[in-house]
Amino acid sequence: MPRPDTPSFEFQALLDAAVDAVILIDNHGVMEVFNHSAELLFGYTPEETLGQNVSMLMTGRDRHHHDGYLERYIRTGVAHIIGVGRDVRARRKDGHEFPAFLSVGRIAGSEPPRFVGFIQDMTLRHQALAAAQRERDRASHYLEAAQTILVALDLDHRVTLINRTGSEVLGRDEQSLRGRDWLQSVVVPAQRARVAGELEGLVGSEQRRPLHSEYSVLNHDGAERLIAWRCVVLEGTEDGPVGILCSGEDVTDARRAELAARESSEQMMHVSRLATMGEMATGISHELNQPLTAIANYAHAGSRLLAQSEPDLADVREALEQIAAQALRAGEIIRRLRSLVKNRITKREPASINDVIEELGPIVRADARANDVRVVLDLAPDLPIVSVDSVQIQQVLLNLLRNSIDALAAIPAGQREILVSSLRNDVGDIVVAVADTGPGVVPEVLERLFMPFVTSRAEGTGLGLAISRTIVEAHKGRLDYEPRAGGGARFVVTLPSEPEPSA
Amino acid sequence: MKPLTATVFVVDDDEAVRSSLRLLLKSVGLPVSLHASAQEFLASYDPAQPGCLVLDIRMPGMSGLELQRHLSLRGAIIPIVFVTGHGDVPMAVEAMQYGAFDFLQKPFRDQDLIDRVQRAFEKDASTRRDLGEIGRIQARLASLTAREREVLVLVTSGKANKVVAAELKVSPRTVEIHRARVMEKMETQSLAQLVRMVMEVERHR
Repeated sequence: MPRPDTPSFEFQALLDAAVDAVILIDNHGVMEVFNHSAELLFGYTPEETLGQNVSMLMTGRDRHHHDGYLERYIRTGVAHIIGVGRDVRARRKDGHEFPAFLSVGRIAGSEPPRFVGFIQDMTLRHQALAAAQRERDRASHYLEAAQTILVALDLDHRVTLINRTGSEVLGRDEQSLRGRDWLQSVVVPAQRARVAGELEGLVGSEQRRPLHSEYSVLNHDGAERLIAWRCVVLEGTEDGPVGILCSGEDVTDARRAELAARESSEQMMHVSRLATMGEMATGISHELNQPLTAIANYAHAGSRLLAQSEPDLADVREALEQIAAQALRAGEIIRRLRSLVKNRITKREPASINDVIEELGPIVRADARANDVRVVLDLAPDLPIVSVDSVQIQQVLLNLLRNSIDALAAIPAGQREILVSSLRNDVGDIVVAVADTGPGVVPEVLERLFMPFVTSRAEGTGLGLAISRTIVEAHKGRLDYEPRAGGGARFVVTLPSEPEPSA
Repeated sequence: MKPLTATVFVVDDDEAVRSSLRLLLKSVGLPVSLHASAQEFLASYDPAQPGCLVLDIRMPGMSGLELQRHLSLRGAIIPIVFVTGHGDVPMAVEAMQYGAFDFLQKPFRDQDLIDRVQRAFEKDASTRRDLGEIGRIQARLASLTAREREVLVLVTSGKANKVVAAELKVSPRTVEIHRARVMEKMETQSLAQLVRMVMEVERHR
């Protein structure tokens, strides 16, 4: 093949039209062609370069390597730079150095081999890259410094990035998380399906509204942390969504504190409603005491007046009339009490009777412990839901439990036991029984057990069972007493279960 | 001055309870004075009036316990029988600690009330008697001269006339004259009674 000392006109035109600098060299690196772009790039004229070694265009280090590359290629046929291209430092005529991308190819069929080199000025590109890198560095600095968790996921929910806060919360470093499936490796199993659905919904939605979601993650020792997340879609330049960026706040402790506050306030309301019941009973008993006292006084006065030799009959008549009037007044007070209890049923809600019973635990246990009483629960699983005012039913049960605890004081400490059981009876009603190993109800009291003011206790108001029965009956249920098999008392609350929704 | 007959003062906010007590106490011949509130009672009560107070412990406005404090501060010694409801036992205990005479739970047996009222009357009478006597002794003591008082102190401490004369640097005869004047002014003939009077005054000081 003839060696073209000077390129043909067409070839030269082609070379000069090329945007890249194009240089032809022989197997010693001597330049044979130096196109127009090369002139502009390096500041040399073709005359200054043709016949010179190409290394004059390189900086010291690359200049040295360059010859080596050629030699090695020629010797081994293995391309290091040749046919591959690499970043080099190039030098202009004025000594200014700049980054360049050099790709070299062997001219097919040339023997000894000749090479064509393409050189791109990478200065702008490098500046742009450096700027982008600085931008990335700054962003990642913010990312790392952020107090919130930042996680980027690709569309398959694989982790592409997680910041330091995220790594700390999870107790796992970024390396071990990157590329892993976020849902499978981090989200608690029970919430994976929901979270997956939420993320799909976010990516699929047109509105691109941020997703607010709370779900728990598992850290490296299996502890759950509850995180409040805000997720947005990462948009590619033209291909639509490319991923999801989520920022998260660890709200475990805050939620726990909120929950504790709410529970304690509910507990307080509970106790206060129970206390109100007690206060009501005290108030009512005080109010009833007035007409009862008056009746007793008038009756005694009447007897004494009649015992006199010349009784003042007008006084006796007054006593009798007043007795009748005060008895009616007492009846009116009882009626008010009953309607008060009835009107208090304001909040009937579906409830699990076992939950209602178990919520009494903390209140009852303290009482029971103080009195050496063992409380045993025997609750049937899978009971149907009842529609009740839970607090009122708890008042009833608490009243029964306190009665039992009081009754158990009569027997030795080792034998004091209360069994609270729940079950479903033959007709499908819910039955809650409070049975104790105490002395039981004596026959004399039995008949009047549920009447107001019947009490066997010095401090009792005698209203507890009467009010309890009123409450249970207002729930369309029953409150009954039966002797416990083997001795003791057994009070049975029967509540209708919520009717099955009709098909 | 009002006739000083022992009277049952009833303070209760419940009209029916008051009226029934009036009729009951009237049936056993006890004078009654009814009051609907502690304030009303305080406004009309003269501590010189003997008797006893039957007081509802729980009342709107001034409670029975507060009325008890007010009466103590006025130096009124009238015995108080508190009337309480079921839940008022702690209040009744407090009332007893502050010197209440007794308490009754509503409703009560007539005889229990009457017994307490009678005993309260006796207690009131004996307190008034004691206080009256002390008052009289103090009045007599006040009439003694300084020298007579010195003689009284020495004589009631068990010293003989001669010893008293030596301590006061007067003649035994002078001591005898002073001593006779003391006995006369204190309205007694026996040294034992004189000693008891001095002890009583000391006790009430």
